[in-house]
Amino acid sequence: MKLGTKLTLFNTISKVVIVVLFVLLLPTLIRDINRSYTDNWLRRQEDKVLKLVSGPGINNYIQNGEGYGSYNALLKEEYVSLDVDSLNESIDTIFNENRLVEGDTIQYRILSHNFKVGKQNYILEIGKSIDTINETTTPLQNIALEILLGMILLTILADQVYSTYVLRPLGLIIKTKLIGHKFPNHTPYKKVKTSTTDFEYLDISIHKMIQTIESTFQKEREFISNASHELMTPISILQSKIENMFEEEDIPDETKVRLIEMQKILNRLKSITKTLLLISQIENEQFLKEDNISLSELIHEVYEEISIRLQEKEIICEIDIPAEWELNHVNKFLLFNLFFNLINNAIKYNKEHGEIKITGHADNKFFIVAVADTGIGISAERIPHIFNRFKKFTQSLQQDSFGLGLPIVKSIADFHQIRIEVASEPEVGTTFKLIFPANLITITS
Amino acid sequence: MNVLIVEDEKALTNELEIFLSNSNYICEVCFDGISASEKIATNLYDFILIDLGLPDYDGLDLLKEAKKYNPEAACIILTARAEVNDRIKGLDLGADDYLPKPFSLLELQSRMQAIIRRKFGLKHSVVMLGDFVIDLTNRTISHNNTPISSITKKEFDLVAYMLLHKNRTLTRSQLSEHIWGSIVNDDYDSNYIDAHIKNIRKKLNAYSSPDWLETVRGLGYRINIS
Repeated sequence: MKLGTKLTLFNTISKVVIVVLFVLLLPTLIRDINRSYTDNWLRRQEDKVLKLVSGPGINNYIQNGEGYGSYNALLKEEYVSLDVDSLNESIDTIFNENRLVEGDTIQYRILSHNFKVGKQNYILEIGKSIDTINETTTPLQNIALEILLGMILLTILADQVYSTYVLRPLGLIIKTKLIGHKFPNHTPYKKVKTSTTDFEYLDISIHKMIQTIESTFQKEREFISNASHELMTPISILQSKIENMFEEEDIPDETKVRLIEMQKILNRLKSITKTLLLISQIENEQFLKEDNISLSELIHEVYEEISIRLQEKEIICEIDIPAEWELNHVNKFLLFNLFFNLINNAIKYNKEHGEIKITGHADNKFFIVAVADTGIGISAERIPHIFNRFKKFTQSLQQDSFGLGLPIVKSIADFHQIRIEVASEPEVGTTFKLIFPANLITITS
Repeated sequence: MNVLIVEDEKALTNELEIFLSNSNYICEVCFDGISASEKIATNLYDFILIDLGLPDYDGLDLLKEAKKYNPEAACIILTARAEVNDRIKGLDLGADDYLPKPFSLLELQSRMQAIIRRKFGLKHSVVMLGDFVIDLTNRTISHNNTPISSITKKEFDLVAYMLLHKNRTLTRSQLSEHIWGSIVNDDYDSNYIDAHIKNIRKKLNAYSSPDWLETVRGLGYRINIS
C-alpha cells in the first residue's frame, strides 16, 4: 500500500474512532451537564423561596395547616410546594420521582428541603419536569454529530492533499535517482526540491551511494583499461623478439616450431587483452557514433570476412536484410565487430552442414535483426550468463576461444542502445535478436 | 634509408633495430624525448618512429617538431595507448601512420613500404611470379593477360603480404594478424589461413602451377623469388 494512502487511512480511522467515542459519550455527558445545571437552578429557587418565607412569614403561604402549591399553568414543567412536615427529621436532597399532577403522571427532578419556623417543621419541594430538562439533548447531539462529520470530511480531504504534496519528493527521488539512473552517468547531481529534511537526507544519501557505485565502476574500468594498456608493451616486446628469432638462420626448425607455439600463446594473450581494452573503451564511451552505413552492406562485409569459416564447416548462410535499411549515427568498426562475433559464434557452435539465417524485419517501433543458427543451442539456465565475461560452458567445444565474444556483442549493443534477445533450444539452435531503436535506422528509397 | 626510433622500452627498441637493420635500414635510437628532440632538430631522416608514451616528453610534441625540422620524414606513431582520440590527434598532426602495440615487425615493415610507395609515387608496381603477374596497384593476379577474377580480396591480401616479405617464411599467426588484425574477436588460434592458401592454390592451379608459393612444413608459408 502506498505511504500516502496509509497515512490518509490511518488519519481517517483515528478520527472516526475519536468521533464515535465522543458521540457515544455525548448523551451521558449532556445528561450530566443538564442535571448539574438543573440542580443548581433548584438550589437557587430554594434560596428564593426561603427568603420569601422568612420575609412575609410562613403563614402567608400556609393557613390552617393547608399546604401551598404552585404549578406552571399548562405544561406543568415546574412546581413549588410548601407544606407542614409531620416527620421530625432533617431532609435536604435532590432526587427523581413521579408526581401525579391533575391526573397526569409526570417525572420530576425534585429538590426536597425541610426547615423549622418556630416549633413547626415545614417541607419545601421544588420540581422541574425531566422532559423539559432532556428536551435539548437530542438536537444538541444531532448538531454535534453533523458538525463533527463535516469536520472529519474536511480534515481527511486536507490530509489527503497535504500528504500527496509532502510525499511528492519521495516519488521524485525514486523515479529520477533510483529507477531512472543509468551507469555510467555523466550528468551532474540535481537536487530534488523539497522542504522536508528527511527527504533531503534521503536524496543526498542516495546520491552518495550512487557516487560510490559510480566511482567503483569507474575504478574497475580504469583498472581494466590501464592493465590492458600496460600489458601491450611487454606483449609487443615478446612478439618482436619471437619474430626476430624466427628470422635467424642458425635456429633449427624444431626450435622454430616451438617459437610458433609461443607466438600462438602470445596471440591468445594479445586477443584477451585487446578484447578487454575494447570493452573498457566502449564502456568509457571513447568511440564516436558518426557513421551512416547500409546494414545489408555491413553484414555482407562481415560475410566476406567470415566466409572461409562457413566454408570449413560447409554451413549455408542466408542473408535477408532489406537493402534500404540504413544505420544512422553508429560506429561502423564496432558494429562490424558485433556482427562478426555474432555470426562467428553461429558458425562455431553450429553443426557441419548447418544453416545460419540472418533476417531483418520492421516492427511498429523497432527494427529487428535476427541471427539464427542450427547449432548445439544453449540450455535455459545458461542463457542469463552468456554475456558474462570469461564464462565458458562447453569447454570441449570451445577450446579456441575464451568467452569474450558475447560480452563484446553486449557492450557494443548497449553502446548503441540495441536490445538483445536470445532464444535457444539445445540441439536445435539459437537465435539472437538485435532490436534496433527506430532512430538508429532509416529506410532509404 | 635512415630511421630514427624513439622508444623508451629498451628491449623493444633493440628488436626494432635488429629487424630494421636486417631489412637494410640505417637505424638510430633514442630512449627519451629530449635526446630525440635534439636529433630531430639536427639530422635528417626518412622515417621517424615515435612512441607516444615517453616518460619525459609528449610524443605528440615530438611529432610537431619532426614535422617542422624533418618535413620530408615519414612519421609512424607506435603506442600502447590505443585511445581513439590519440589516433585522430596523431594523424591530424601529420603522422603518416599509426601502429598500436603490440604490432608485428612485418606489419611495421609493410606500412613503411606502403609509405615509400606512396612518397615516391611508384605508380605501377607489377611483379612477375612464375607464369603469373601480380599487379599491386590494381590488386589483380593475371595469367597471360587474363585477370583471375575468382581471387577474393582476402586472398589477394595474403599473396601481396607474402610477396612484400618475399623469401621469408611467414607464420600463420603473422598472416592472420595481417588480414584479421583489426577484428576483435574471441578466437586466437585460427587456422583459416590454411583454407585460404588451399583456395588460392586451387584457383591458380587452373591456369598454371604456383610453385613459387611454398608450404614450409610446420612453420608457415613463403613466396620464393630468385
